Parts: sequence; C-alpha cells; structure tokens
Amino acid sequence: MSEPRREAHLVCRVGDLPPGARKLVEINGRSIGVFRLEDGRYLALRNRCPHRGAPLCEGRRTGLITAEEPYRPVFQRDGEILRCPWHGWEFDLTTGRSVFMPEAIRVKSYPVGVEPETSVEKFDVSATEGNVVLWTADPPGSQPVSAPRPEA
Amino acid sequence: MSSPESVVATPSRIRVVDADVHHNVRAKEDLFPYLSRLERDRLLEYGLPRNTGLHQANGGWRGARADTFDAGEDVDPRSNFPMFQRKLLDDCGIDLAILQVELTPSLVALADVDYSAALIRAINDWSLEHWVAKDPRYRLSLTVPMHDPVLAVKEIERLGDHPSVVAVYVVCGSTRLYGKREFDPVYAACVDHGLSLAVHFSNEGFGMNPPPTAAGFPSYYAETYLIRPQFYQAHLSSFLFEGTFEKFPQLKVIFCESGFGWVPAFRWRADAAWKELRLQTPWVKRLPSEYIDEHLRFTTQPFEESEPPTAVDQVIAWMNGARTLLYSSDFPHWDFDPPEAVPARLGPQVRRQILADNALLSYPKLVPLAGTVRA
Repeated sequence: MSEPRREAHLVCRVGDLPPGARKLVEINGRSIGVFRLEDGRYLALRNRCPHRGAPLCEGRRTGLITAEEPYRPVFQRDGEILRCPWHGWEFDLTTGRSVFMPEAIRVKSYPVGVEPETSVEKFDVSATEGNVVLWTADPPGSQPVSAPRPEA
Repeated sequence: MSSPESVVATPSRIRVVDADVHHNVRAKEDLFPYLSRLERDRLLEYGLPRNTGLHQANGGWRGARADTFDAGEDVDPRSNFPMFQRKLLDDCGIDLAILQVELTPSLVALADVDYSAALIRAINDWSLEHWVAKDPRYRLSLTVPMHDPVLAVKEIERLGDHPSVVAVYVVCGSTRLYGKREFDPVYAACVDHGLSLAVHFSNEGFGMNPPPTAAGFPSYYAETYLIRPQFYQAHLSSFLFEGTFEKFPQLKVIFCESGFGWVPAFRWRADAAWKELRLQTPWVKRLPSEYIDEHLRFTTQPFEESEPPTAVDQVIAWMNGARTLLYSSDFPHWDFDPPEAVPARLGPQVRRQILADNALLSYPKLVPLAGTVRA
C-alpha cells in the first residue's frame, strides 16, 4: 500500500493570519477554511457543511456548550467550536467532528503549520517570518509544526 | 379529482419559484414617506413594534443566516437589497420570489387596528416601491390587518389589483380561527382579485393573541419549532368544517413553513372524523382530504429530514406532494433551504413540479404569460 503523498500548500505568510483570524483558500478545487486561534494554533476544515452544503467556515466560532444535568449549561474551550452559518450544526475545529454525533458526522480536517519559506516552491523569499502551510495528506510519522494542544 | 401528473401544458421559462422570502425595512424612517403626519409622529414616538416574545431566542445569528450580514453587524440582512439579489436570487437561481415582510407578525398583533392598518399600508407601499419595482423577479404577498377583517378587505381593494401582488399574507396568531365566517369577506376579496391566501406562523402569543399552546408558552426555541404544526392544524380544521372551501371554491391556501410530515396523518384523521360526524356539518360535502388536495398547498422549508432519509418520499406520496408542495427557501432566515433540499431522487418531473410548476398553478397571478400553464 502506498503512503499518501505529503502535499504541502501555501496558505499565506504568518503575518497575514494573526491570532483570531481566518482565511478561505481554494486547494485542488476545494474550499478550505484556515483558522488561527488566539493561542496561536492553526486549524483547517473543509468549507462545506455535510448537512445542506453551506459555507461552514463562514460560521461563528463559539465554545463547547454542555450540561451534566438540566438547566446547568457549561461553556468550555472558547473559540474551538465552529457553528454552521445556516442551521447551526456545531463542529469541533480541532478534529472536524460534529458535537452532536462525533462518530457519524464530521468534516475533513487538515493539518496546518508553519514552515520556513524555502520549503514551498514559488514563495516570495523576501518573507522572513515563515509560511502558513496546509497538508492535504497527513504523512505517517510526521507532525505538523503547529503549537502543541494545551492539556484539557 | 384531477390527476397528480404534471398539469403544465407548455414548459415555462420559470424553473424555480421561492414561495417564502422575508425582507424588511432597515429603520422606521423607511416608512415615513408613506404615513400621514399623525401616523408618522406616532411611529417616531413609539418605534417599530417588536413583539419578539416567542422568538426572543431565535437561531442562526439574530434569526438570520450568519453569512448574510454583508453590510456589518448592525445592518439587518433582511433589509439588504443587493445581498438578496446576490445570495438568494442569483446564487440559488430563483426566477420568482414571493416576499412576505418580516414585520407583519408584529404589525398584525397591534391592538390599535387603525394604527396597525396605517403601518401595514405603509409597508406594502414601501415593499412595492423599494423591492418589487427594483427587480422583476419579486412578487409581493400583501400584508393585511387580519385582526380586523373590514380593514383587511380595504387593503385588498386598495392594492389587490397591482400586477405584482399575488397573495394575501396572514399569520397564524389570531383571536379567532380563520374558518370563522367573519373572515369570509377577506376570502371573497382574495378570490375577486385573483389572490391566494398565504398563512405563516409567527405572532402566536404576541400582543393580544392567545398563548401559542393550550398550556401557555414554551421555554426554548426548539419547542417553538415543534409546536408549529398545531397552529396550522387548528386553522385547517376550521377551514374544512366551517365550509370555507364550499363557499370559495376558487380559493387556494398556502401554508408557509408549516412543515409537511404531519399532513398525511391529519388527512386520515380528518376523513375519519368527517365520516363519523358529517351530520353536524352537512355542508362539508366531500372527504376533507379532497378539499386539502384541491385547496391547500404546503411550502417545503424546512424540508423534512427523515430517518432513513428516503422515508419522507412515502410521506410526499401520501399527501400528493408532487402536486401540493411548493419550494421555499425562507431566506435569509437561518433555517434556509436551498433548492437542492428538494431531493434529486424524486425525479426530474416531480422535482420540477415542486420547484416551480405547483407554484405557478397555486397563485393565479403568478403566471407571467397567460397561456403557459393550464389548471
């Protein structure tokens, strides 16, 4: 079985995606939303809701809202949940899994990180702060260069 | 009974008709040019009525699709005319869209019926001038002060012959069920002017209207979603057994955003009740399901999401949906359905009927060219 080819795609320069920002990119004909969280992490999801095909990545970010018992809602993980702009389906930005049926309903999630600008061809070499890069196939044994996830 | 097969004689250029679209004014000042000095001063003082009771906690973002705030957080997408053209008419390929203004539920709940009627006249005039006249794809469902049938008839007589007015728009919240005979003059005016009656939920429990359920108000928006069919069932029962369709054999009633999964069970129960109790309402001459087939239409949004997904196909068959369903988007509300929500597996013919032909046959004035469609 051949390993999936590690295909890196330039998203933008680091300075073009400040913490809290997002960017829609088109890669191999697919619209993908790249997010930089306030703590520096980079995350990316396919920009298409599996429900009715809405532009999912134009939705609002919120937290994981749960309740152990009625009338006691708890808000956690601020900014890590993406709500579809149409019908409000919630997805975990870090995994692409839906909040309500995480096993059955999910969107494609892509690894994103920062690489030196020389690693991507055709990049403007004048940039010094690095490139935000998205991989369309997760290479076995390698990790994207994103900041580590803080312990929950 | 006519056959459920296609009744369109000549394929029309109209491929998609959207039977439920919600525009709105941006601010109360939009209505000032259409009001008398007295009424303008009142609106200036009171502000636009905002009976948000049941819908205080809506979905999406302030009740709209979160991706429709193109003009910024503070501009209601319902008032963004260019955004409608781009994201609804162009992106979804809508050939004709029937506007039902967002403010209607609040206006029709005002106890001062004369002030209500003045604001309704203003918003109808404003809609025709600032929306319908500016894009040939728009038609208007005319808001009327249904809580005062005399004033409602006056508004139909004032604007019912406008070529772009195709329906009379009423909301489910009411102190009286709509089959009651006091509303008959409204239906007579509808028929006289070639207008269908569009019924939409929304102002239940607003103003002087009774609570939305027999046990008061629900707490959460998901509940308001689930209790809606009873509003429509109540009015439909009233239409059927008061004999509305015997009195007005030409009247078409469009239930907007009622859902439609409940319709087959309602038809069965109504037919059974009629067989058992017919003697109490002998003017009801046919099976209720036959009146429903002939007079009632149901908009599709929110399209039923069954499990398994194909189960809804049987529901559609049981309610003659190939003939009785009309596509609607509910744009720009958050629970919007694109035309693709009408599944391709229904087949191109049925899909075409739901997306366009059924609407062309359900609003007498919607047909753009006489002779393209026969009933």
